[in-house]
Amino acid sequence: MAKWSRTLGLLLSLVMLVAGCGSSGQPAGGGDGPSGSGDQQSPPAAGTQPQAPATPAPSGRTTLQMWIMPNTTQSEQDMLQLLQPFMAQHNVDVQVTVIDWSSAWTRITAAATSGEGPDVLQLGTTWVPAIAAMGALEPLSGKVAEIGGADAFYPASWNTVSIAGDPEVYAVPWFIDVRAAYYRTDVFQKAGVDPQTAFRDWESFKAALHQINGTEIEGRPVAAIGFPGKNDWNVTHNIMPWVWGAGGSELSADLRSSAINSEEALDGVMFYTGLVREGLVPPGVLEKNTSDAEMAFHTGEFAVFFNGPWMVSQYTRPESENGHADKIAAQNYGVAPIPEGPRGRYTFFGGSNLAIFNASRHKELSWELVKFLVGKEAQMAYGEMAGMLPALKALEPDMVALNANFAPFYEAARYGRSYASIPQWGPVETVYTKHLSTIWDLTAGVSGTYSREAVKQVLDEAAREATSLLNQ
Amino acid sequence: MSTSVPSPHPAGRARPALPSAGAPAGRGPAGDARHRRAGSWRNNRLAYAMVAPAFLFMLMVHLVPMLQGIAMSFLQLNQFTLRRFLRAPFVGLANYRSVLFDPENPVRAGLAIAARNTAIFSAVVTLLVLATGLGVALLMNRNFRGRALVRTLMLLPWVVPSYVVGILWSFMWHRDTGIINRILVDWLHLLPEKPFWLMGPNTIWAIILPTVWRSWPYVFIVFLAALQTIPGELYEAAAIDGAGPWRRFRHITLPLLRPAIAIQLLFQIIQSVYAFNIVVMMFGNGSGYAGEWGDLLMIAIQRQSFQSWLFGYGAAASVLLMLAMMGVVALWYRIFRQELIIR
Repeated sequence: MAKWSRTLGLLLSLVMLVAGCGSSGQPAGGGDGPSGSGDQQSPPAAGTQPQAPATPAPSGRTTLQMWIMPNTTQSEQDMLQLLQPFMAQHNVDVQVTVIDWSSAWTRITAAATSGEGPDVLQLGTTWVPAIAAMGALEPLSGKVAEIGGADAFYPASWNTVSIAGDPEVYAVPWFIDVRAAYYRTDVFQKAGVDPQTAFRDWESFKAALHQINGTEIEGRPVAAIGFPGKNDWNVTHNIMPWVWGAGGSELSADLRSSAINSEEALDGVMFYTGLVREGLVPPGVLEKNTSDAEMAFHTGEFAVFFNGPWMVSQYTRPESENGHADKIAAQNYGVAPIPEGPRGRYTFFGGSNLAIFNASRHKELSWELVKFLVGKEAQMAYGEMAGMLPALKALEPDMVALNANFAPFYEAARYGRSYASIPQWGPVETVYTKHLSTIWDLTAGVSGTYSREAVKQVLDEAAREATSLLNQ
Repeated sequence: MSTSVPSPHPAGRARPALPSAGAPAGRGPAGDARHRRAGSWRNNRLAYAMVAPAFLFMLMVHLVPMLQGIAMSFLQLNQFTLRRFLRAPFVGLANYRSVLFDPENPVRAGLAIAARNTAIFSAVVTLLVLATGLGVALLMNRNFRGRALVRTLMLLPWVVPSYVVGILWSFMWHRDTGIINRILVDWLHLLPEKPFWLMGPNTIWAIILPTVWRSWPYVFIVFLAALQTIPGELYEAAAIDGAGPWRRFRHITLPLLRPAIAIQLLFQIIQSVYAFNIVVMMFGNGSGYAGEWGDLLMIAIQRQSFQSWLFGYGAAASVLLMLAMMGVVALWYRIFRQELIIR
């Protein structure tokens, strides 16, 4: 009996150990997704199990499988509604599966590995090279002329459809996420600061922030600027524009090693974190994530906030439709470009692309679906629904006519910069996010002493780890 | 799980020896063990048949992934070879060597810090969970009005999914708007100014307390069940002999609770070493980095290898952690072996 119970005990313990081992599966990044969705901490949604590849429906109609991320508030219904004309025209059913950003990476890599996946799928822009390098995506170079080719899209967007150094096209731009500055018109007015000059360059920007800091609105002081710090998926995206503006880069020119510890990169990081040290940022915001920081801007905690275009749409909708039109920021805001750094004006440029799995048995039809989604009508309709900019350049005038506040985002799309399009970018971004997080601990003064040397040391570690990853 | 705890109740201890109906008549109760086992096999055939599917299923869902994980640790499995999965190049023990000894291995970075945090975290969490669970169980193990209601309420934290616990507590820990600083600073004036909990060294407390909060009710309910099997006569007799509350606890309660404590100790250690959800949800919903004082081993392994797509290294690191934990389990087994034997 004793022997039995011993065996049983050990077996049980083993099983428990193994159960603990199985918990892998957060994505790298997800960082290229629309924050509006990436941040909504929805539980892994039920009913989003991957389906088997396309099979003829009982009616004899073909069914296409499509995976998307939660781009709109009712992602599945919105998408199906958008696809109605396509389904009618081609006599086909499309089964839409919505995958949360936080589990998307695992699901997509699993599908890419096993070949059991959808026909058409949405990919964060930085994921394309990685999935393409696995050999899971259908090459599209021969077809993209049908949708206007590279010229129809923004260069930073087209940069993300292939692997650096390989002319083959593996995806098509769908919508873009680009960052600009939201600012409070009432605060600037009361402080007597002209937004036109405030966002001209780093110097004028900092001077303006000092001037508006603490301006009282309705008897309550408003801090100059806020941004999420470390507990967020945007850590790298928030810092890189300042690194680029100072002349730094995420990787060396040959893309073989990290350049995050260059003097220029350090200048950029020091300027950005310096805003906190100079008392322009309410320290509490540094532990918030993007959606919490967004809320703090909506309710008037600070006067400047860098974010993507989705807030423009949110500010037109009432709360009952998941909007924020009733908040103080919505009634007093403008959008300005990110200030120009000593070495140029840059902003984060991300978004999502559409790709076709090469395991699909309906490639022609899948391409028709992609073509439909990057067609003018669908692009415009979906851009409105998702609050993202359509990838098609030609729609710029229509979107600006819809809401003039989109204009600065289109301007940003011209100076926007996407990350190096290499398969290892996802892992490298994870490393950067980790180490840049540590810099926020330094900046907030809760761990170590903030100094140029201390920040440099963190960046050195980041560069070392990232370079060793690139050499794997 | 609690069924594996041998009941200290005298009635429970005396396993009713099944009258072996199938045994040939005339065989005395001292029939040899081999025959008895065979008889028990025959008698319990139906029970074994009923359990078999579940047993096979468990074997499948636990054993197969484990073997796969071990197999992965011997392969050069990264984003470029992932598509070949188990047919990726075999590299023998190279992954293990690299994770343990190569200073340039990307998976190694920060693993030492995470190991230190995990040690502190597991020790403190296990201690607090067992102490709280036992303390509350002792309080609840008496008759008072509304006992059932209070007991049910006590279980509330345990029924909250752990990722929700993470999200809720992250709001509570917020420096400016969180309830914790409001209580500590604004109401009780215990601290001169509001500290950060989700940044810097305080993060270790920010991850320990929610974990304890979520875990203690389970331990409490197990201990309460165990306490209720201790017959009141033992306490009465001890009281008559002049034993005070402390001595009754020390010499009756504690010894009879030992099996339950042993099992809970093991479960808590394993659960805290493999802690994941709460911490991940509290710091950026999986994308953030909890920092030098909030990073735990499972999270570090997951980030450094699975987010970085170095699956071979990650599997090797996981297997190493598993081996270390098997050491812990073996040690535990040596200490508590006696408690696990049904007498």
